[in-house]
Amino acid sequence: MNTFYATFYSHFGAIRFKRLCDDRGIPAVLMPVPRSLSSSCGTCVRFEAEDFAAVRPYPEEMEQIARAEGAGFEVCYRAENA
Amino acid sequence: MNNEKTTIIAAGAVIGVIASVLVLFGNPVNMGFCIACFIRDTAGALGMHRAAPVQYIRPEIIGIILGAFCMAFFHKEFASKGGSAPMTRFTLGFFVMVGCLMFLGCPFRMIVRLAGGDLNAVLGLLGFFGGVLTGVFFLNKGFSLKRSYRLAAWDGYVLPAVQVVFLILLIAAPAFIFFSEEGPASKHAFWLISLLAGAAVGALAQRTRLCMAGGLRDVVLFKDYKLILGFVAVFAAALVTNVVLTLVTGTPYVNFGFAGQPVAHTDGIWNLLGMYLVGFAAILLGGCPLRQLVLSGEGNTDSQVTYLGLLVGAAFCHNFGLASSGEGPTANGKIGVIVGICVCLIIASLNTFKKGDK
Repeated sequence: MNTFYATFYSHFGAIRFKRLCDDRGIPAVLMPVPRSLSSSCGTCVRFEAEDFAAVRPYPEEMEQIARAEGAGFEVCYRAENA
Repeated sequence: MNNEKTTIIAAGAVIGVIASVLVLFGNPVNMGFCIACFIRDTAGALGMHRAAPVQYIRPEIIGIILGAFCMAFFHKEFASKGGSAPMTRFTLGFFVMVGCLMFLGCPFRMIVRLAGGDLNAVLGLLGFFGGVLTGVFFLNKGFSLKRSYRLAAWDGYVLPAVQVVFLILLIAAPAFIFFSEEGPASKHAFWLISLLAGAAVGALAQRTRLCMAGGLRDVVLFKDYKLILGFVAVFAAALVTNVVLTLVTGTPYVNFGFAGQPVAHTDGIWNLLGMYLVGFAAILLGGCPLRQLVLSGEGNTDSQVTYLGLLVGAAFCHNFGLASSGEGPTANGKIGVIVGICVCLIIASLNTFKKGDK
C-alpha cells in the first residue's frame, strides 16, 4: 500500500475528491498541503492505495498526485499546463 | 511536521523582532511593517495620490518581493503561473486596501499594533476572524476562482523587475518621485536596512508560507495550528522586543490602551468592519497581503495583479477621501467598506459551485 497526496486548485475540489475516495472505499483525509510537497498553501487529500490509478478519472480541479517516498515525494500525475 | 512547526515559529519570531527593530531604526511607531501602508506610501511616491504625509517608495515591499523571488528561484519553486480570474483578483485587492485603510493597517500591522499595546487592534482581529469565517463558509460551499495555468516564462518576472526599477527610483530620487517631509512616510529606516529587512521577511515567508488569513483558515478547516503559530510567534517576539527596547532606550515602545495610539483611531465598529472586509477578501484571494507579495515573487501573476489592485486601491482611497486618519474614519471610507463587503458577497456567490454535492 502506498501513500499519495493529491493537490487541487480549490478547497471544494479537495472536498469532492475526498467524497469520491469515500465512495470507493479508499482511505482518505483532507489536510493542508505539506510544505515539502509544494510552496502553495491550499487543501490536499492524503489517500492510501496500491496505485494512484485507483482514483481515475482525475477530476478537472486536481493539480497533481504525488507519492510519499521516505521524507520526500515523487510526482505521479500533473494536470496539463500546471 | 514537527520540523515544519519549529521552522515557522522560528521564522515568525525573527520577523517579529525585525518589525520592532525597524521602529528603532526610524519607521513609525507600531508600523515597523505594514504591507498596506507601505504600498500606499509607494503609490504616493509615484504620484498616484497627493496625500503629502504618505509618499515614500518603501524598500520593505521591494525587499519582500525580491526576497521571496530569490528564495523561490534558489529552491526551483519559481514558476510563471496565472489566468485564475485576474480582474476579480484585482477587484478583491482593491477592496482589501479599502478595508486596510479603514482600520489603518494590514493583518501584519494588526499583529504589530497588538504587540505595541494598541487594543483597537483587538476589534480588528475580531473583525478579521469574522471575515475569515465568512470566506471559509463559501469555500466549503464550493467557492473557486478556477485554476491557474503555466504562462510564458518571462511573465512572472515582470513585478520583481518593476521592484528593481522602484529601488533605482528610490535611490536616484528624480524630481518626479515624491518624498514626504512630514507625517508617517517621512519616518523610515535607512533604505538599505529596510530593503534587507524586507528581503529577510520575504525569504522567510516564502519558505514557511506565513499567512495570517491562511493561518486562521487552517485552524477553522483542519484544526491545524502550524501557520497561525507563525503569527503568534510574530506577536510574542515583537512584544518582547518592544519591552526590551523600552527598558534599554527609555522610550515607550509598548503603551496599552485605546486612545492616543500611533497612526490609529478608536472607532471600534469601523475597525472591526474594515478588517472583516480584509479577512473575507483575503480568504477569497487565498492569502493576506503579505502572502500576495510572496506569491508575486514566486512568479504568480494572479498575485501580481492583486498587488496592482492594492496599489490602485491605495491611490483611490487617498484621492477620494476613503482612508481613515488618527481622527477616525471618513463617511466615504464607511461607504467604501460597505460596498466592499457587498462586492465580496457578490463575487463569492457568483463563483460558488452550485451543482449538487458531489
